[in-house]
Amino acid sequence: MTFPNLEQTQRLLWRLITAPRGVADALREMRRRGDDADGALRDGLEAVVDGDVVLPAERRLDIYANMYFFRLLDALKEDYPAVGAVIGNDEFHNLITDYLLQHPPTHYSLRYAGQHLARFVRSHRLQQQVPFLGDLAAFEWALLEAFDAEDEKLLSAPTLTALPPGAWAELRLQPVASLQLLALEWEVPLTWNDVHEGRPPRQAPPQPTWVRVWRRDLRVFHRSIAADELALLRDATAGEPFAKLCEKIAENGDEDPVARMGALLHQWLAEGLLADREPT
Amino acid sequence: MSVPLRPSLGCGVGLRPRHYSYVFEQWPGVDWFEVISENFMVPGGRPLHNLTRIRERYPIVLHGVSLSIGSSDPLNLDYLAELRRLAERFEPAWISDHLCWTGTGGHNLHDLLPLPFTEETLRHVVERVQRVQDFLGRQIAMENVSSYLTFRHSTMPEWEFLSAVAEAADCGILLDVNNIYVSAVNHRFDPLDYLAALPPSRIWQFHLAGHSDHGDYLLDTHDHPVKDLVWDLYREAIRRFGPVSTLIEWDDNIPEFPELQAHADRARQLQENLDDVSQPGANAAPPVAADHRP
Repeated sequence: MTFPNLEQTQRLLWRLITAPRGVADALREMRRRGDDADGALRDGLEAVVDGDVVLPAERRLDIYANMYFFRLLDALKEDYPAVGAVIGNDEFHNLITDYLLQHPPTHYSLRYAGQHLARFVRSHRLQQQVPFLGDLAAFEWALLEAFDAEDEKLLSAPTLTALPPGAWAELRLQPVASLQLLALEWEVPLTWNDVHEGRPPRQAPPQPTWVRVWRRDLRVFHRSIAADELALLRDATAGEPFAKLCEKIAENGDEDPVARMGALLHQWLAEGLLADREPT
Repeated sequence: MSVPLRPSLGCGVGLRPRHYSYVFEQWPGVDWFEVISENFMVPGGRPLHNLTRIRERYPIVLHGVSLSIGSSDPLNLDYLAELRRLAERFEPAWISDHLCWTGTGGHNLHDLLPLPFTEETLRHVVERVQRVQDFLGRQIAMENVSSYLTFRHSTMPEWEFLSAVAEAADCGILLDVNNIYVSAVNHRFDPLDYLAALPPSRIWQFHLAGHSDHGDYLLDTHDHPVKDLVWDLYREAIRRFGPVSTLIEWDDNIPEFPELQAHADRARQLQENLDDVSQPGANAAPPVAADHRP
């Protein structure tokens, strides 16, 4: 009898543990297709994994298969409580089963297991039934991204006002690393707030919604904003100089672009959206 | 009984988010905390802030779940760099992870999978532990995992494999007493054989946790109090290895902090009451000076 090497053994176990319909089904399917897992299954599963009458090899592997799925399900439920509340436990279970087939975790931290879920949801059948689901998932992921983003020293108003007048045009504002900008088609913060505050989640209205999510000290905040503010924050993040931001406001047809920029800058400083760091 | 070569941190508990507020209000008199390394491999925010506060008052140990020392995939250098950064920042008494594999082909199962105990695996793991220790600039401790399957092609028992890894790679052993018990039931071996085979000088730490009985097998769920038979085995372990640093793990159905602390207190009492472990040097001060009592 030839035993599989370490790599063959591990690849075989990975395939069986992550199979969507259980170990027995995966083995049947492999046998049907004449797939012996690169030789690892040449002599059958019992030649690789010990089993006995009480606990056959297949059932032993099933223990791991269940732990794999339910550990990830639990972790993703914590990351996406509102998505879970809107579609209910059974559909969340189905969603995650489908998601893990397409996106089995690759990162060493469970923290990133759900990083593709918002994009995945948009092409999932559930999106047809709950058209705001993708937006809601994107919103929840943004909250998580802000939660543990880098800590930064915030830019203060006195630091900014101390700048010589000639420096303003080339000034590159530095939005904080925690800032997440979302352009949504549905007003999902309303739904999220319901879940967050323990109410039954409402259907999000079909309403274009621009949201910024950020963290100040240890608290994560979100605010619905105007489309032009979102565009300006995106431009600032991309490194556009202050003069360019002002031009964009003027192009947008604002009646008083200077006042608008001043008001935004005031709010960004007050809410801790700008970091005190050198542009990269 | 032997005197552990690594001074004891005493009896601590695993730090879990639901206990932060209690700890920050009460600063309870546990000896130390163990933290899951990966939970703090983030750029910033509350997790690192909390750990900074904890570290100001308590010794900590970094306990990882994703080193995947037995994987056939290459070692993840990004992971190791994060771990080294974390260790530099928080100065843990030591770093530990599991003698297992957690993924292959670039995928992560987020579970602790058992290894075939063969000469091939032994060479592979020893070489990787040595590389990890070189990278981190320090020794690490490897923990035995609970398992639900064994491999037909294993050529040695787990205790022989664990001892051989520790000796050949010159690393420590984090001995999970509950895991020995769970695996002993699942694979029908005598847990005392396990203890008897281990090199005492390699035992840096014990883990204690609760498990669930599923009828045909035990599952290492960390969601119950430590079972009496596991306490009995722990008593055997401290009789054999001395008053080694001990840690209570609880990850699901987590009780209020005082219940967790009572478990650590019970472990401490067992250490203190076992006459033949109270030898000079066995209760030396922790290597990390940190007064955790306000």
